[in-house]
Amino acid sequence: MAELHIIGQIVGASGFPHSSLFCKWGIHTGGAWRLLSGLREGQTQVDSPQTSDVAFWSHPIDLHYATKGLQGWPKLHLQVWHQDSFGRCELSGYGYCHVPSSPGHHRLRCATWRPLGSWQEQLAQSFVGGGPQLRFPDVIYSGADRYRLHTGAAGTVELELGIILRNFDKYGVES
Amino acid sequence: MATSNPSVFLLMINGQIEGADFPEYDELYCKYCFVYGHDWAPTSGLEEGISQISSRGRDTRHGLVWNFPVEITFKSTNPFGWPQIVVSVYGPDTFGNDVVRGYGAVHVPVTPGKHVKTIPMFVPESTSRLQKFTSWLMGRRPEFTDPKVIAQGEGREVTRVHSQGSVSFSFNIVTKDMKKLGYDVGHPRDV
Repeated sequence: MAELHIIGQIVGASGFPHSSLFCKWGIHTGGAWRLLSGLREGQTQVDSPQTSDVAFWSHPIDLHYATKGLQGWPKLHLQVWHQDSFGRCELSGYGYCHVPSSPGHHRLRCATWRPLGSWQEQLAQSFVGGGPQLRFPDVIYSGADRYRLHTGAAGTVELELGIILRNFDKYGVES
Repeated sequence: MATSNPSVFLLMINGQIEGADFPEYDELYCKYCFVYGHDWAPTSGLEEGISQISSRGRDTRHGLVWNFPVEITFKSTNPFGWPQIVVSVYGPDTFGNDVVRGYGAVHVPVTPGKHVKTIPMFVPESTSRLQKFTSWLMGRRPEFTDPKVIAQGEGREVTRVHSQGSVSFSFNIVTKDMKKLGYDVGHPRDV
């Protein structure tokens, strides 16, 4: 069985209009992949940066997968949320990126988007907050049914991942 | 001989905590420790350390310099639980008490070679304005009871923090027998 190690962290986020942010993340794989150790999803701390406009989480990711096939290569999906001073949480962006398939150290910048409603909803959102959210979060990393959505750009999430592959070359896989 | 069919691989880290950039604070020292999984064990070197107290130079472009050596070798059977270095920075407040100025953690790089990293530091936030005032007055700021908590992914969703400042490291990584065990970590890096 070939094995994949993902060792790194979700560094932080920038370019969002609010500053008190946290991120819910998860990894989705196909049926051939089995998670041997590590947490496949999590939520970072809430960071309110003092001096810079980048929110830093430094959230560790350490996953060990075994696989029988290449299909369904792991995808990391993210939801960036804003927590205001009253403790209410509001969605700031959705994003996903594939886990890199070549071994070594990678710095990833994942662009995010958020669903836009009608102009009335956008006006209300600028006053009281809230805003449309996805009912089924798997739309974040799948392409089916996306054509129904109208979205706007949000900020960027930065990740640093180290990828270790094992026994891929024994099966003739080049990466 | 053990080298023909190794069962463990070694990870050697030669590095230093170069210094820090905290625009608002001065006279800081740092403590580091390593957090690693169950399959890892240090074979030589120091797992923890405390640096000297350093002030900013007269030329403020330099930031704070510790130049603090970190040398350790680990052995392991499994890359899961790859070591992380956890750094906590402390300094005096206006009343002279030692308070925490930042926590940060980063995984030791997985590819052999030289790496220079700058990690952001954060402090836990007080839950109310009253607590913020009393902690400023008494010199007892909110801090983590065990800094190793920062290296974990669980339980972080309830913490609220402020990020301030950064610490820079340089690492030189050497691994032994990872290839023999079938692990591919990519090409060694030159930075």
